[in-house]
Amino acid sequence: MTPEAAKQDKHTFVLNMGPQHPSTHGVMRVILEMDGEHILEPEPVLGYGHRIQEKMGEARPWPGFMPNTSRMDYLSAMIYNHGYVSLIERMTGIEVPRRAEFIRVITDELNRIQSHLLWLGAFLLDLGAFTPIMYTFDDREQILDILEDVTGSRLTYCYHRVGGVARDIDEKFVERTRAFIARLRSRFKPIYYDLVTSNIIFIKRVKDVVSFTPELARRYGLTGPPLRSTGISYDIRKNEPYSIYPEFDFEVPVGTKGDCLEVYNIRVAEMEQSLRIIEQALDRLPEGPFRNKIPRKVKLPQGDATFSVETARGELTYYLVSDGSDVPYRLKIRVPSFSNLSVLQELCRNMLLSDLVMSLGTLDLVIPEIDR
Amino acid sequence: MSDNSILITDLLSLPATVDEVDYARRGYHLDVALTADRVRAMAETLLRHEFYLVFASAVDLAPDAEVVYQFARHGSPCRIMARAYVRRDGTVPTIADIYHGANWHERETKDMFGIRFAGHPYLQPLLLPEENAELKPLKKSEKSIKLPADVRWLPEEPAPAAPAAPAAPKAGGDTPTTPEQG
Repeated sequence: MTPEAAKQDKHTFVLNMGPQHPSTHGVMRVILEMDGEHILEPEPVLGYGHRIQEKMGEARPWPGFMPNTSRMDYLSAMIYNHGYVSLIERMTGIEVPRRAEFIRVITDELNRIQSHLLWLGAFLLDLGAFTPIMYTFDDREQILDILEDVTGSRLTYCYHRVGGVARDIDEKFVERTRAFIARLRSRFKPIYYDLVTSNIIFIKRVKDVVSFTPELARRYGLTGPPLRSTGISYDIRKNEPYSIYPEFDFEVPVGTKGDCLEVYNIRVAEMEQSLRIIEQALDRLPEGPFRNKIPRKVKLPQGDATFSVETARGELTYYLVSDGSDVPYRLKIRVPSFSNLSVLQELCRNMLLSDLVMSLGTLDLVIPEIDR
Repeated sequence: MSDNSILITDLLSLPATVDEVDYARRGYHLDVALTADRVRAMAETLLRHEFYLVFASAVDLAPDAEVVYQFARHGSPCRIMARAYVRRDGTVPTIADIYHGANWHERETKDMFGIRFAGHPYLQPLLLPEENAELKPLKKSEKSIKLPADVRWLPEEPAPAAPAAPAAPKAGGDTPTTPEQG
């Protein structure tokens, strides 16, 4: 039934989901035009958490925006740090010591794993499975403890600096991270695989729900695991490598038909790949300075530049236009969840309401990131 | 690279000016400037070349603001920054029916800059609560607005020690000089 015909039909109705709703994972609202259990037209309503981050970026010298970077996607805060400092380094030509690059990669990947762990628990909670989140949060706490020790915060990090990182990591950090790698590896099989991945109820529930296609992905700018589930191997860490990622041996997991199950499998596989990267980085961690001295006030050259990184959700791009002062003239922040959510209308038309909840979970949305 | 030469030819014929720029310094490969009227043709060309839309936004400049689009490709890396000045009546043609993801980007740009996208299917406020003609938060004040020349890279931009880039294959693929046949 087309939406126009639906309006004539007395059996259709409008259902309001959110802005306070457990499965929107944040303050987001979806207006649903329904025919029984089927959705005729979903319309996301955004902006409840809009803080105009871009304006803040244009209102102060560039170092002052550092803390803001971690307050958009609070689950990929470290990677947001990384993108911003790398952009400034690209424009100003400031060099980063090798040890700092290693520390950045290690903390980025720890951050990515904790984001995926939270997603794993919350996604299954959406499906009605309560137990897994207990295990994932147990594992996730370990990462937060490790990162808290070195950065001082548990979630909204402000750890990367232009020219390096804020503090050096020590032997204790290395030891704890190694212990964590061993622990998480030992839990993949007995807990995540046996409890969830191989669970027949879970598989039947998520298999063949939603269908991401390469063509849809291109038209909407879909990135991250939903894009990779279509079979396109596209990860900024590989395709436009930054930092020292080319030095590490890791794979980009991809799917073939783009359903919820494949996106799930990709995220779980990505955790294992991140562990591999961290392990290699710890093995080769060089000695040396963790931060280069930079002048107190650094002006940006006149012109524009862009920098993209791969967050846990997809492609994050900063675009900065400078007039030659130290205050950015224009700072555009392209966040992955914004483009990923924009597919919802096309993806979820004629879908069951319960499958919409699953689609939202599969996209792994962070709403403050979308609203900025 | 031969891939890109077809792309560049296609972009030049829009018409548009296309500059290959220093990726290490700017983070993108091609700088494309065109008139607002050619924006839709550009989007169609890039979709045909299998690019995806990274974002669409604007930069407020005097006298006319500028819309900027960034495209990238899943295959061999190529990132494009495209820019067009907003027409005197404050509009730019929409590309939301070509790149469906542009729908929200254009709505956001309308919220923040007041730029209207002609032909957009649903140009309603997205992030801001309601239409407010006075409140265009990312527009610059008269005091702080810049001219385009103030925000472009200066000509002496390329680093001095740039090695001679391998010249793009030109003029009908001459075979390399062969050693004398003995």
